[in-house]
Amino acid sequence: MTAAPLLVYVHFPWCLEKCPYCDFVSYPTTREALDHRGYADAIIAELGARVARLRGSFELASVFVGGGTPSLWEPAELARVLLAIRAALGGGDVEITAECNPSSLDEPRARALLAAGVNRLSVGVQSLDDARLTFLGRLHDADGARRALSDARRAGAARLSGDLIFGVHDEAPEVARDEALALAELGLSHLSAYALTIEAGTRFGDLARRGRLPLADDGRVAESFIAIDEALTARGFEHYETSNYARSGEASRHNLGYWRGHAYLGLGCAAVGAAPTSQGFVRYKNPLSPSKYVAFANQSAPDDALAMLEPLDAETRLRERIMLGLRLAEGLELASVGDELGVVGWTDARRRVADKLIARGRLERDGARVRVPRPSWLFADGIAAELF
Amino acid sequence: MFPIERIRNFSIIAHIDHGKSTLADRVLEVTGALANREMQAQFLDKMDIERERGITIKAQNVRLSYKAKDGVEYRLHLIDTPGHVDFNYEVSRSLSACEGAILVVDSTQGVEAQTLANVYLALDQNLEILPVLNKVDLPSSDVDRTKEEIEQVIGLDTSNAVPCSGKTGVGVPDILEKIVQLVPPPKEAAPGGPLRALIFDSWYDSYRGAMVMVRVVDGVLKKGDKVRFLATKRDYEVTEMGVFTPHALAVDELGPGEVGFFCANIKSVHDTKIGDTVTTATHAASEPLAGFKDVKPMVFAGLYPTESEAYPDLRDALEKLHLNDAAFSFEPDTSEALGFGFRCGFLGLLHMEIIQERLEREFNLELITTAPSVVYHVTKTTGETLRVENPAMLPDPQVIERIEEPISKVTIHVPAEFVGAVIALCQEKRGVQLSMTYASKDRVIIAYELPFSEVVFDFHDKLKTCSRGYASMDYELTGFRADKLVKVDILVNGDPLDALALIVHKDRAYHRGRALTEKLKEFVPQQQYEVAIQAAIGGKIIARETVRALRKDVTAKCYGGDISRKRKLLEKQKEGKKRMKSVGNVDVPQEAFLAILKVTD
Repeated sequence: MTAAPLLVYVHFPWCLEKCPYCDFVSYPTTREALDHRGYADAIIAELGARVARLRGSFELASVFVGGGTPSLWEPAELARVLLAIRAALGGGDVEITAECNPSSLDEPRARALLAAGVNRLSVGVQSLDDARLTFLGRLHDADGARRALSDARRAGAARLSGDLIFGVHDEAPEVARDEALALAELGLSHLSAYALTIEAGTRFGDLARRGRLPLADDGRVAESFIAIDEALTARGFEHYETSNYARSGEASRHNLGYWRGHAYLGLGCAAVGAAPTSQGFVRYKNPLSPSKYVAFANQSAPDDALAMLEPLDAETRLRERIMLGLRLAEGLELASVGDELGVVGWTDARRRVADKLIARGRLERDGARVRVPRPSWLFADGIAAELF
Repeated sequence: MFPIERIRNFSIIAHIDHGKSTLADRVLEVTGALANREMQAQFLDKMDIERERGITIKAQNVRLSYKAKDGVEYRLHLIDTPGHVDFNYEVSRSLSACEGAILVVDSTQGVEAQTLANVYLALDQNLEILPVLNKVDLPSSDVDRTKEEIEQVIGLDTSNAVPCSGKTGVGVPDILEKIVQLVPPPKEAAPGGPLRALIFDSWYDSYRGAMVMVRVVDGVLKKGDKVRFLATKRDYEVTEMGVFTPHALAVDELGPGEVGFFCANIKSVHDTKIGDTVTTATHAASEPLAGFKDVKPMVFAGLYPTESEAYPDLRDALEKLHLNDAAFSFEPDTSEALGFGFRCGFLGLLHMEIIQERLEREFNLELITTAPSVVYHVTKTTGETLRVENPAMLPDPQVIERIEEPISKVTIHVPAEFVGAVIALCQEKRGVQLSMTYASKDRVIIAYELPFSEVVFDFHDKLKTCSRGYASMDYELTGFRADKLVKVDILVNGDPLDALALIVHKDRAYHRGRALTEKLKEFVPQQQYEVAIQAAIGGKIIARETVRALRKDVTAKCYGGDISRKRKLLEKQKEGKKRMKSVGNVDVPQEAFLAILKVTD
């Protein structure tokens, strides 16, 4: 039996300040206030418990350290965690990504991260315009973002990704496009361009609910999406997922893994994992508060302390594969996904819907694959829902 | 054989809520027909819906034994009647089995619209009418004023009127005495002649088939008799006979003047024509008794299952209800928008609501009901005439010579202070005033001629609103009249939504069209293309709303931690889509069809 690829996600739930749009679990803190070592110990403890429960044959393909702001973490502690993961799960050419914020990334920090085993940096630039950075509540300015990226490059980070947020209320599509181009010019091998999404439970969400947040017109956001797509693909980037662009061969293996339906272990406070275990295929979410998490990890991760535990049956996983696969330029091979999960991918109902979608230009077939043609990417959710 | 001179057949008639059923229960109690412990409020209202709504739908009747003060034992037949105007036809049938009627008037309310309507029905049948003034136990009771109203408005002598309370039982023995004294005993129409019994009700029993309720006029009906139904010309053998006491009690014969039921292996109520005469097959009467007018449904609506798989269930349920309710009609119908369903005919709005409620409650069906429509008479330019029950079926305007709509005479009783508001409402509804009289110094009776479609639509609700609930109304259909009527089509991206087509007066069409398109816009979700919602008369667009195209429907971030939440959202979206109906390439949620029925002027 061949080993299936396995992803490991490590969550670092602290930031210097919480951004008003962010709905990830993250707590504001100072670097000094953190128990760097204790958190690393907890993760290593959880890792042991998770690996013991994992069923099946796997090969580690990727580790992604996200947050929060993992660049705040003492690199030596991160190194211990990465070593433990490699020791427990092995793996050959493993992609190891760490998320960084410009305000906590300079050349020495970048070197330290690389020395700890990280081989890919993802930098939360978000914008290269000072006014928009202020609106987004970021701690850095445009110059700071440029400096952080050049420091990372100087430190030897060959695989460097930048995040961009577009669709801020006063941003014209050409402005969003130019900003994406400017960011791409800063030596990135990968770029994520996200339309600003107002999530409930965030500061922006509260403001929007009370009608106090200026919002962008959907039509303009859509135009920005298209303008960025055209500009970046013209510069040689592959638009390989709804919000992600990469130079050839530089796509995030970790994130591709999610979209291709690979199993993933989530480690750390509020981390989410989805993998076959002794209880079947489940998705779980770890406790949301750092102190509860540390206690949980040190008691070998009892299920009753989890924030969420969801058994995923084959049909549910198939629907997820459709939803995720249709986000990708490559699309998915529905028949073989069905075979892999032991269910029928192309049911009669799906065939009927697919024919209708194809006739309307919302879906295309390429051999065994189906995918959403580029002009319809903006409607991928509705298309996926129809095929559910 | 019970002596005919000691039989008294009577009904209780009243305006809705004037306490008819409660009083009927008291009568059962006083005559000892029901032990106290059996008394469940309103015994005679058998259906749950009847009891909940406090109305009687199907007439019930009971044989009572009453020893009067003169020491003689009398046999009373109490024939209960429905109280709502939609069921007037049942009232007149019940009355045809009686010689007398107790007219219940709420002494806190006075004479109301249906009081009058029911009195006229009773007078038509030459019944002795005995007024009783109910609810005298309430502090707001005003016996003198109520008597005055009865004398002035109805013209009935009130010297024999009995004050009573169905709640406390006060006056009930007096009522029974008056019945014995004043209501004449039944008389044979042709003494010594062959059996003649009038069918005045029938219902379906799942074990016995159709059951027939009769009033024997001449002769004797016996168990085992071979009987013939004169109108349908079919013969049956009476297998079981009985009376209600109120529990069913088997009897072997029914003599002249008596009321009871029989069964005779009759398959369905449709084989039993109400108003038909039962005679003996061997010695058949030549002359039938005077029957009844056939009742025809006047209000039509489409009933569609929300899930198309439920269509066979809906059909079965309608068939079952139809077994017991000959006044209700249904036939298969197809709507582009709503799929397979049925076009159903009802006597009125209450009848429609009751059927709908029973389908939902007793048969667990989820339904979409289209806006009720009346029947139109259409004359085409070729001279051909049509009966149009469904606005969608109206021919093209070019080939229509004229459209006639049903006209009704509406009688409204209202306190004087609300007269202005009521008149304004009637005028707005295209009414023509017929008369206005004072029932007493502060109560007014207004009669209007109104297009029945306006009455059906929301007239009753509006009347109640504009009179703070004090106005009461009654209506009768008086005929058909041509007017400037047009069909308004609702189009979604050019495709007509047949279920929403309506026939309205030309002067209102623009306004209604706009109200409908505005309402529909609220419910049609954004789609991937622009959706035009239009109202049109013939080919001419009279109103338009636009649902802007959805520009973007994709999640920006979808990583490991987001998948469950996102998947559930899409699952919900898919589920919601199942409950939408596709019109052309536009998905219209079912709520849109429901909401639009509530659009008013």
